[in-house]
Amino acid sequence: MEKRILPERPGWRDQARELGFAFADMGGEPYWDETSAYRFTLRQVEEDIEAAATELHAMCREAVDRATRDETWLARLAIPRQHWDLVAASWARGEPELYGRMDLAYDGHGPAKLLEYNADTPTSLYESASFQWLWFEQQQLAGVLDADCDQFNGIHEAIVARWTQICADGQEVHFAADPDNPEDYATVETLAWAAREAGLGAHFTPLAQIGLTADGQFADDQSRVIGTLFKLYPWEDMLRDEFAAHLQSSGTRFIEPPWKAVLSNKGILPLLWQMFPGHPNLLPAFFLADVQAALAGGSPAAEIAPAFEAARDRLAQGHVTKPIFSREGAGVVIHQDGREVARTGDDSYSHHPMIVQGLARLPDFGGFRPVLGAWIVGETCCGLGLREDRSPITHNLSRFKPHFIEG
Amino acid sequence: MTERHPRKRSRHVALVLAGTATLALAGCEDDRMDAQSFPDLESCIAASRQESLWFTEEDCRKNFAAARQEYLETAPRYESKELCEQEHGVGNCGGDPAQQQQAQGSGGGFSFMPLLVGYMMGSMLSRGGGIASQPMVNTADGRYSTPRGEQSFASNRGTGKVPAATFQRAPATLGKPPMSAAQVSQRGGFGAAATARPGTRSSFGG
Repeated sequence: MEKRILPERPGWRDQARELGFAFADMGGEPYWDETSAYRFTLRQVEEDIEAAATELHAMCREAVDRATRDETWLARLAIPRQHWDLVAASWARGEPELYGRMDLAYDGHGPAKLLEYNADTPTSLYESASFQWLWFEQQQLAGVLDADCDQFNGIHEAIVARWTQICADGQEVHFAADPDNPEDYATVETLAWAAREAGLGAHFTPLAQIGLTADGQFADDQSRVIGTLFKLYPWEDMLRDEFAAHLQSSGTRFIEPPWKAVLSNKGILPLLWQMFPGHPNLLPAFFLADVQAALAGGSPAAEIAPAFEAARDRLAQGHVTKPIFSREGAGVVIHQDGREVARTGDDSYSHHPMIVQGLARLPDFGGFRPVLGAWIVGETCCGLGLREDRSPITHNLSRFKPHFIEG
Repeated sequence: MTERHPRKRSRHVALVLAGTATLALAGCEDDRMDAQSFPDLESCIAASRQESLWFTEEDCRKNFAAARQEYLETAPRYESKELCEQEHGVGNCGGDPAQQQQAQGSGGGFSFMPLLVGYMMGSMLSRGGGIASQPMVNTADGRYSTPRGEQSFASNRGTGKVPAATFQRAPATLGKPPMSAAQVSQRGGFGAAATARPGTRSSFGG
């Protein structure tokens, strides 16, 4: 793994504009940044990222299976009690998942570490699946990248294939998001084009325009009944909204399915560590409530005491606290050697239960720290997108970086 | 093929983001048809005499009568005037004309309906049909719509192209119990983003 300075494609900004990629610059800062790119070897991609992320997803499915059968865990994950059945039943019925993005810490050596899994509403899909692909094809054509280079990016084809697996031919699917947020909308549009390619009918409706019919079904902004709804809106919020009472009775099929409420929840990280202690791709993780006293020199909660003792030294060297619900780095605090070294200003989620996770130091490439986004479609890792940030906490103004495989 | 390994990337992708402005995802755009709306029969007749259009004075009379009948059968009925005005605007509701004609006694309570404020005619000629019509009522925000309420229009007087679905008949309300507040269609029950502190959420994704 290295970061290589490369010439930018002449006129890429104009092309981004023409293609509708309107947020290539955000807040006066570049978001898409191709002044350099990350290079991986095929072995690194296939063994350290692809195989690891696919295995992690399988482990996550085992964790969901455990949590949905255990009310203690559903409570710890702060899933509202009245929706336990909705969540557990969707898992028991085997409702299929569409996509997710694992954020991994990786420096080219040793196993990638799972920082968190945005399994419900990941964005940056267009940049990863499409614009990054175009960058690669054009740079290869221009001779900037060798003919035998490649990119880990089968995302678009995997999504098309997944749609054909999980929906019937010609099925109508509604896509709901906030139309005023270009990043959210771009992600939804990317999924919807893939759905069209898969032979499905795709309709957009602004999330806030979804209505409830007299029969208790959900309807779009044109009052058409919604049979299948892809929502770029987190389950933890869906379950707390005014319409939450109608989720089950509406008969709507949701994508992602309700069981993703278990997975896209940082409380899954302590569960994974409990089920797979010492797994090379996991960082030690606990609920803060169980270990807060112990971190200050006292005793941990009895149930996790042996696991905590095994991880005590690692956590003392460095750990991160973060709320079980949060977006874009909100509420993340990093501690090293007994003192706080970084925190994000945004504490809008910090009233939720917190977890503690061992610190995975992000590598430094020319003053920037990359986080790998490993895309999961269905149950398999199928592509990669990187974001890097000057700060050790990746947030919403980080830069998207293209990558390629060489060697 | 010079590749030594199976390729790790897609053979093609979807590159264009059309954006919300073009409503690309509404996509399977419904067929659109010529339509014209009138506040009353007289304005329709006047228009039919002035301009050479796709309808005659006879069409005006026939379709106005049909729209009036459809209004009686399908316009929404509410159990209170307040509820009706909430959905259709203050001053835009009245008693149920069908009940007044029948001199009560039909069992259900008295109901309120939005006033008939015009009608819309659409040309089905391009699809081998005649002329379709729908009554128009007010919306809560001062616009005009057909009883189905899917599309709203700024005025009850004008010409344009509208989706063919605009002329789909709404479900019957005549002879059914009027809607209570709980049955009135609701919108906006998603999106409160309850897990973030109010006003802090910038994106629903991440």
